[in-house]
Amino acid sequence: MADYFAGIDIGSTMTKVVILGDEIIATVIGPTGVEQRRLANKVMEEALSRAGIPFEDITYIVSTGYGRINVPFADKQVTEISCHAKGVSRLVPAARTVIDIGGQDSKAIRIDANGRTKDFVMNDKCAAGSGRFVEIIADCLGVPLQEMGTVSLKSKNPASISSICTIWAQQEVTAGQAKGRPIPDLVAGVHRSLADRVVRMARRIPLEKEIVLTGGGAKNAGLVAAVSHMLQTALLVPEEPLITGALGAASLGRNMVEKAIKKGISLETKKRVLDVVQIL
Amino acid sequence: MAEQKKKHKKRRTATRAAASIGPMVKEFIAGTVRAQREGAQKLAYSFIVCHHEEILRAMDVLPIWTENFAGVCGAKRDAERFLQRAESLGFSRSLCTYALCGLGFDHWREELGEMPPDAPWGGQARPDFMISTGQILCDPRAKWYQAAQQYMPDVPIYNIDLPYPLYHPDRDHREELPYYHKYIVEELKGLIAFVEEQTGKKMDYERLWERVRLSDKTWNLIEATYDLRSAIPCPMGTGDAMNTMVPINFMMATQDAYDFFLNLKQELEEKIKKKEGVVENEKYRLLWGGGLPSWFALGDFNYFNSKGAVFPAETTYRMVAPIAEMNIPKTDDPVEHLAWRWLGYWTFWYDKARQRKGGEPDVERLINYIERYKIDGVVMHEAFSCRTWHVGLIWQLHQLAKIYKPIPVLRLGKDGNKTQAWRENPSLVLESDIIDITSYSEVDTRNKIDAFIDTLESVAKSRVD
Repeated sequence: MADYFAGIDIGSTMTKVVILGDEIIATVIGPTGVEQRRLANKVMEEALSRAGIPFEDITYIVSTGYGRINVPFADKQVTEISCHAKGVSRLVPAARTVIDIGGQDSKAIRIDANGRTKDFVMNDKCAAGSGRFVEIIADCLGVPLQEMGTVSLKSKNPASISSICTIWAQQEVTAGQAKGRPIPDLVAGVHRSLADRVVRMARRIPLEKEIVLTGGGAKNAGLVAAVSHMLQTALLVPEEPLITGALGAASLGRNMVEKAIKKGISLETKKRVLDVVQIL
Repeated sequence: MAEQKKKHKKRRTATRAAASIGPMVKEFIAGTVRAQREGAQKLAYSFIVCHHEEILRAMDVLPIWTENFAGVCGAKRDAERFLQRAESLGFSRSLCTYALCGLGFDHWREELGEMPPDAPWGGQARPDFMISTGQILCDPRAKWYQAAQQYMPDVPIYNIDLPYPLYHPDRDHREELPYYHKYIVEELKGLIAFVEEQTGKKMDYERLWERVRLSDKTWNLIEATYDLRSAIPCPMGTGDAMNTMVPINFMMATQDAYDFFLNLKQELEEKIKKKEGVVENEKYRLLWGGGLPSWFALGDFNYFNSKGAVFPAETTYRMVAPIAEMNIPKTDDPVEHLAWRWLGYWTFWYDKARQRKGGEPDVERLINYIERYKIDGVVMHEAFSCRTWHVGLIWQLHQLAKIYKPIPVLRLGKDGNKTQAWRENPSLVLESDIIDITSYSEVDTRNKIDAFIDTLESVAKSRVD
């Protein structure tokens, strides 16, 4: 019987689960919402169902992300920096820099050939440096979030949008609309503004190729193009850029178990039960 | 706010000396209020790091350290009401929040004609005069007391200008020193004349010399004491040093400051003998490489400790350097000596920086501490309202990264043998403020600390592999 490992990444916007055997055998992505503990159970149940294995077959579970302490069945919590590094390295072994644009924060991580973190920098103070910026503007313009990327790629003359503050940027977009600026130009301007902020933060660490973009921001082709333009280099984007944290968590879980076996020590694990969690 | 204050846990200190600081600060704040009531001594609003404590102490003037009082408000998580008051007066939150807190407090006190309700530790006394300064590039220092004078128009200000030659890699700063020295001596003499006028007393220069010699002796003692922190395990961290900065910055030129460090030195020697460290299993040694701390979140140092990390050194508030290494010219005049010491302190790292291609004094100091204290990583704090410290921190880290590269290097030993060594030194930049608690997120900060600890662990593993 193969050993299975699970990683669960509770981010501010999305919760991701990866079940890992020799390869990835199941992934689930769902919105986090307010009831993180209940959702953790739900997405894990869904992942087990997709993998077609019972819960007790999971050898080790690692949780990560902002809500990592809210996973009642996790055997270990690891920071998202370490998990993203490991996950990206597994998918793109040549990666040396990870830029992750999430819903609530963005980060840049320098990694080595083994997927170990060498340095990192995070922005968590301001929505203008995270995916939330694009969400707010999408809402303001009435453009579905998932279409923002393709809309912006139609732009011939991106608008100049302040990168200082989401609220001011929103006002600038509204003013731009009133002046009749085409929506693709406004959206492209918003992407450039976010990219500028992210790249300025990322440059605090030495950026070494290959550079991999992950997180919800990596699903936005317009934003990827803007970041690539600012960095003057091509970026690699994994097929599913949202799962790198959860994948890294599962991989680190495997490493921990292998190390423990090598050293002849046993690792404590939680009872494999998906309890009903009472949320007030 | 009251509930928030009650919930806030008291920080653990590693040394008895650091634990004794709270009551000490409380007493010197209460002491200024008492002195004002009794009217026996003149009180002066003052800024730290001006090398004028000796002059004030020799003339029996009690300094009111306005930056310290703002820090106390922050540490007690009671600054917000003073910040909001200053904002309502038209001051922007993006100005120095020490200044904002002080201005808000002053305005309130002057409006009431008494201390604001529940003023932290009895409140900040009304000064007889104010000594401002625009040195060390801290622009709020030049403007703070001018602004405060709006609410205390009867309180005079003396502005003391203390420049020092800027670093230039290709120019020996010694060529310019006599010019700077002459200017600073005039500034200090001007201060003496001002204080004589305000107190109605003449300066006793023998007494001033005594104070200066006491300070010099204390400087050397502090250096010797802090050097003990290079021991493994480290007996005292930066968390404690944020307490022991009090005698360095607010009590210099007093016997109490000297005795404090004598006791601390003895305590550290005992700890070293017993191999007693700040943390039980010391894993990582970190350098607090720049930035004032968040006074309301000093518990974060305990959080670092809980992860096996300790800070044997910091650049912040270590406002002393070994006097013997400064080559201060001999003089019979204590004012001239103060001016030479000022210049000696601010140019202390210039020669060392010049020896390294592309060197810079602030970075040179970091390198020196990294080597001397066997540092594994550097932590800095960008306090949004403190431009003086904030500017240049990231650049300094970039410069450091050029030296501490993520590749093995060969070290040439004195015996001529080469050994392979890893010198990589990861860094963490925390973001918040000195006293504005609204800028702080404990969850985010600790998440960053967790990630930094992971990074240190993975760097350590790479070295083993």
